[in-house]
Amino acid sequence: MAPRRSHAEPVPTATSGGATRAWRAAWRREPGRAAWTAIAIGSLCVMLGAWAWATRPGGAIPALFLPPPGDVAASFVRLVSRPYLGSTFGAHVLSSLDVVIGGWLLAGAVGLPLGIAMGWWRRARWIAFPLFQVLRPIPPLAWIPLAIVWLGIGEPARIFVVFVAALVPWVMNSMQAVHSIDGLLVRAARTLGASDRQILTRVVCRTALPTLVAGARIALGNAWTTLIAAELLAATSGLGYIALNASRTLEMGILLVSMLVIGVLGAAFSFGMQALARVFAPWSRGART
Amino acid sequence: MARVRREARIVTRDAAPTPHIAHSAAVGAVSPRDASPAPVPKLELRGIAKTFRTDHGDVEALAPCDLAVREGELVMVVGPSGCGKSTLMSIAAGLEAPTSGEVRVDGRPAGPAGPQRTVVFQRFALFPSETVEGNIAFGLTVAGVARAEREARVAEQLELMGLARFRRAWPHELSGGMQQRVAIARALAVRPEILLMDEPFGALDAQTRTVLQGEISRLRRVMNYTVLFITHSVEEAVYLGDRVVVMSSRPGRIRRDIAIPHDEPWRGLEIEDASMREEFIRYKREIWELIRTEIVRE
Repeated sequence: MAPRRSHAEPVPTATSGGATRAWRAAWRREPGRAAWTAIAIGSLCVMLGAWAWATRPGGAIPALFLPPPGDVAASFVRLVSRPYLGSTFGAHVLSSLDVVIGGWLLAGAVGLPLGIAMGWWRRARWIAFPLFQVLRPIPPLAWIPLAIVWLGIGEPARIFVVFVAALVPWVMNSMQAVHSIDGLLVRAARTLGASDRQILTRVVCRTALPTLVAGARIALGNAWTTLIAAELLAATSGLGYIALNASRTLEMGILLVSMLVIGVLGAAFSFGMQALARVFAPWSRGART
Repeated sequence: MARVRREARIVTRDAAPTPHIAHSAAVGAVSPRDASPAPVPKLELRGIAKTFRTDHGDVEALAPCDLAVREGELVMVVGPSGCGKSTLMSIAAGLEAPTSGEVRVDGRPAGPAGPQRTVVFQRFALFPSETVEGNIAFGLTVAGVARAEREARVAEQLELMGLARFRRAWPHELSGGMQQRVAIARALAVRPEILLMDEPFGALDAQTRTVLQGEISRLRRVMNYTVLFITHSVEEAVYLGDRVVVMSSRPGRIRRDIAIPHDEPWRGLEIEDASMREEFIRYKREIWELIRTEIVRE
């Protein structure tokens, strides 16, 4: 692959022909969708190859440290084909999804209206913002002991921790989304005869929609990462529970599979939310609001 | 028109809104209280003043201003930058409350902002989440106008402003000139009694501006809107205005009120041609002199 140079102009050398120059030009260009996908797959394949090479029999890394890809694939097949720790793999995933979706939606039900209110009415902001400034720096995991005291060890406690983790980004991003609406749009709506309620629903919330969805996406990401941590501490099923158990029994393949599934599902959520934004806010594709 | 001194061709009168006999087609109803032939102005700013309170003390943006716009009249307001033109506009629109004075429409207090007086802003202010059609229909939608009527009026505006091809486009897909056309169509769709324009072409490139100035001039001949139009372009003011009001630098007050008769020989020409005519240049120079002294005074 052509080396990346920091300066913009390609520097022809004596040995580099037209092909090299074309390579460099292609490398500098912003890739199209197809090229982007090709690069992504290529880079993943290279990393997979490096992994396989390093963990090959007699390779640099022993299997106990990092099992080869083949073992991980076998573990995946094993997880999917037979129940593990008393539940099927699907049940484990669903158990995790239950908690994350429940906590995230609950946080949205509270955080979205609250954040919009805080962005729109400055008095609401004066009253509620200080609380969230204090809540924001508390790591969601710090809520686990309190959740256990309040709700015991079980799903409600996990949902609560996820709820707390998702609530702060829901509120903060929704507030920011509404607060950053151009005041001129509000003035224009007012001169066109819109009532305060119509301005809030038809202008403010609709204009803020892409940013509101972005906030929801961040909240979902937070919820997901916190879920796994919550499951490490108090669960009888779920992806985090699988990971913890596998590390205790040194089933490295299973451990890596659970981690990979966590990563893939998180990325899928992120993509899904972006797709949602495109459906609900088709104007945001080109507009940078 | 009787007051126009033909030799000078420039009529200057004091800032107080002396009632004239309207030269436009639509003459407002004569006030029943008032036996004089003076019609009640469509839009009247009575002694409006604005003082902003800041941490460094009060800033007087607008000294008491009186300005009356008759029905069907297009009044241009020019002045040096920072003279409170936009404050004047916000107050006229009902978007800002004056520190003193009042805004009247048809002789009655105007009340808060609403579709009676719509505004075309310099920065277009189109709703990004609405298509061209949705933007134009906005005022009708919030007023609960029935669908058939709404669509008819939107279609009428699309046609009038040459936007039919872009009806389903999003605002960000349009050029600045097209966006401002949408904004004008949106302001007109609710059939306002008064159209307020706040430097509507200030954010456009020179060519687009020229085209839109021509459009406004054309629209004026088609429809007899009452318009208060803020601009920083003297040329635009002379070209479009029935009257040009020159404001002083801060605190803004009305320095001069110049009538520009309808029968000027350059009326009906395109702005590039009109602006080369001797009579046009005379107005322009007169107004420029006033503004220049204001800028120097500051």
